Amino acid sequence: MTTHNSGRVPVTVLTGFLGAGKTTLLNRILTENHGKRIAVIENEFGEVGVDQDLVIGAEEEIFEMNNGCICCTVRGDLIRILGNLMKRKDKFDYILIETTGLADPGPVAQTFFVDDEMRSKLALDAIVTVVDAKHIWQHLDDSNEAKEQIAFADVILLNKIDLVTPEELDKLEARIRGMNAATKIYRTRDARIEMDKILNVGGFNVARALEVDPKFMEPEYPFEWAGVYLLQRGEYEWIMHPGPDPTMNVALLPLPEASATELEALQMEAVLLFSEKEHATAANDVLRPEKKLRELRLAEGETRFNIHIDEPGNYALFTQHHPDEFSAKLQSVHGPLAPLLTREYKPDHEHDEEVSSVGITTPGDLDEKKLNEWLRELLTTKGTDIFRMKGVLSIKNQEERFVFQGVHMLFDGRPDRPWGNEERRNSLIFIGRKLDRAKLNEGFRSCLA
Amino acid sequence: MPRIKNVKPLTASWHREIEDHVIDLIWSRDGRSLAAAAVSGPITIFERETGRIVHHFAGHRFGTSSLSWNADGTVLTSAGQDGKVRWWDTLRGEELLACEGGAAWVEHVAWSPAGEVLASAAGKEVRFWDRTGQLLSSFGDHPSTIADIAWHPQDKVLAACAYNGVTLCLPHQPGRAERLEWKGSSLVLAWSPDGRFLATGDQDSTVHFWIIATRQDLQMWGYPTKVRELAWDCSGRYLATGGSPEVIIWDCSGKGPAGTRPISLRGHENFISALAYQHHGAHLASADQDGLVLLWRPEKNQQPIAYARADSGVSLLAWSPDDRLLATGTESGHVEVYVR
Repeated sequence: MTTHNSGRVPVTVLTGFLGAGKTTLLNRILTENHGKRIAVIENEFGEVGVDQDLVIGAEEEIFEMNNGCICCTVRGDLIRILGNLMKRKDKFDYILIETTGLADPGPVAQTFFVDDEMRSKLALDAIVTVVDAKHIWQHLDDSNEAKEQIAFADVILLNKIDLVTPEELDKLEARIRGMNAATKIYRTRDARIEMDKILNVGGFNVARALEVDPKFMEPEYPFEWAGVYLLQRGEYEWIMHPGPDPTMNVALLPLPEASATELEALQMEAVLLFSEKEHATAANDVLRPEKKLRELRLAEGETRFNIHIDEPGNYALFTQHHPDEFSAKLQSVHGPLAPLLTREYKPDHEHDEEVSSVGITTPGDLDEKKLNEWLRELLTTKGTDIFRMKGVLSIKNQEERFVFQGVHMLFDGRPDRPWGNEERRNSLIFIGRKLDRAKLNEGFRSCLA
Repeated sequence: MPRIKNVKPLTASWHREIEDHVIDLIWSRDGRSLAAAAVSGPITIFERETGRIVHHFAGHRFGTSSLSWNADGTVLTSAGQDGKVRWWDTLRGEELLACEGGAAWVEHVAWSPAGEVLASAAGKEVRFWDRTGQLLSSFGDHPSTIADIAWHPQDKVLAACAYNGVTLCLPHQPGRAERLEWKGSSLVLAWSPDGRFLATGDQDSTVHFWIIATRQDLQMWGYPTKVRELAWDCSGRYLATGGSPEVIIWDCSGKGPAGTRPISLRGHENFISALAYQHHGAHLASADQDGLVLLWRPEKNQQPIAYARADSGVSLLAWSPDDRLLATGTESGHVEVYVR
């Protein structure tokens, strides 16, 4: 399965603040020779045919249903207009919806989940957000709408790059990534972009999004490095020098085998450990392999921590920062030890952001019943704060990969292609407000069979 | 289709094809002509017995949305997405008038029961016109885009529903409109023939009743999808509703439908797409998104008594004023007329 929308017409939702470049992008799409017959629904008045395309002005009408549930908030005007358009014989190949600058993308996206008629005839392809690279900063701090537009986006155009320096762009991109780790980011000037980057991208098709960019769901970790060492019974030393911080958190855990797979399985445990309270550890204190997070306190110059090993075997040391930043090394009585295996992790961004992403990846099969219960509970209690989620799951006794995605409390999942020879694993990402990384990890892990 | 075994097919009288999805289908009040509008615009008038095309009008650019005949069948009015209300002379076969509906999409037109006033709805505005096409009044204070309009069967009141409630408007006294507030999105509206009830079918998969005498309201839950099909029987006792593969019929006799268990008619396998009760008789026609048409006599028996199959989903059903002919319109543009 890739983009099987079973004849459904794809819909792209265009969001972005006033002046970001939405209209420029829209005109570009309409004038580009893409061979598609496009219907555009914009929030301005007037209905005009542009060659073979149709532009319809619509006034945003948000319908909240009687039960007051946020996920039942839909765009009534879209149901009416699209319902009519889809009746015509000369159907459109593509639907583009432009939202107002201050729009919350939630109701637009939900319209395509909640309304049976919309769901049977149309398929939400992606939410594309145009960002004014120069002026977005002021909004990122004070506007919920700007944060939501970024959090909901499958594709973000950092537009007007000619007005800012490359350093500013890097900074902006990093900040956006910190909020939405799953989005694709393109840098544009005058909203110039190839059409296949924004149309038919399958942002709401998890399977396809993963195939295009397998790294998009790579989660963030509270540690930057892990090294696997084969240690004998006896004494070792972890030696550090002054670095960027006066302290560094580490965890030393036994590993059954020095393999990448085993290390990966251990990562989740380390993530949980890193969310616990750290135990202050000063020079010459003893560091044991144990389920404890150690906060190593550095002294002036060289600081040595003693490691005491009772059971010979493989051990993984997870460190908050890369050891190179502290010229750190593990040493036995015979001299420095080289790790058998190391892995670097994408650093956890500085989460001063209210909006962030939590990615979870772990091998193993899930217990379907536990998963359903956990998700139901999670979406009932936190659905308002979870803007988007996507994932591919490995469910016990099921041959196919299970792909899902959701908007707020709405959830759409189905079996995808068989796993075949591929390693069975789970990858999922949550994008939302005030997400509790450790709790999400813990909850998900409790669903493992 | 085991449920409709031993059921007779309906006798087809004639069949014609129009340009596109049948978006409206109505008989003239004298029953001599049937008008059909295609969603893409064209309007066709057929002769009752043979289906001969009497007139073919271009309709509205960007699409036609609604039709209404005047009292004596000499004028057919239409609403469309060119922002116009158009008047068609059905004797001479030409356009008489084009009035501004007030917004880009005029979605509804409806002549009053006595045939004196024409109402049109576009965006949040209802406009009232006299028989010559003069604007009488307009009412633009609806809470959101008007989803449907319906004249009270005897009174000179027009009900218009929108998100957040129903408005009752008086064409000659636009200032005296009354709001029946309800937080929700009503999609269709139907008065009981005795005017006691006003029913709405809603986006949140419910049916809402307003008891006009007391202005009290009731809500009926449990539908699997939004309800866009409502049909009252001629006595005003039964309301048939869609929003499900079953036809759900509420009994409004006595104290009304509150707390009662509705009649449920099973025979369709896909969602109901159209419902029509006879004007004087007790037969109910139902149709679904797969094109199955069933005829029932719900009071007597909960099994269908006749069926027909259309080539695609049925968008409309219309009984001729004498209840002898049943017209069906489909998504693929077919108009078929059956003899009861």
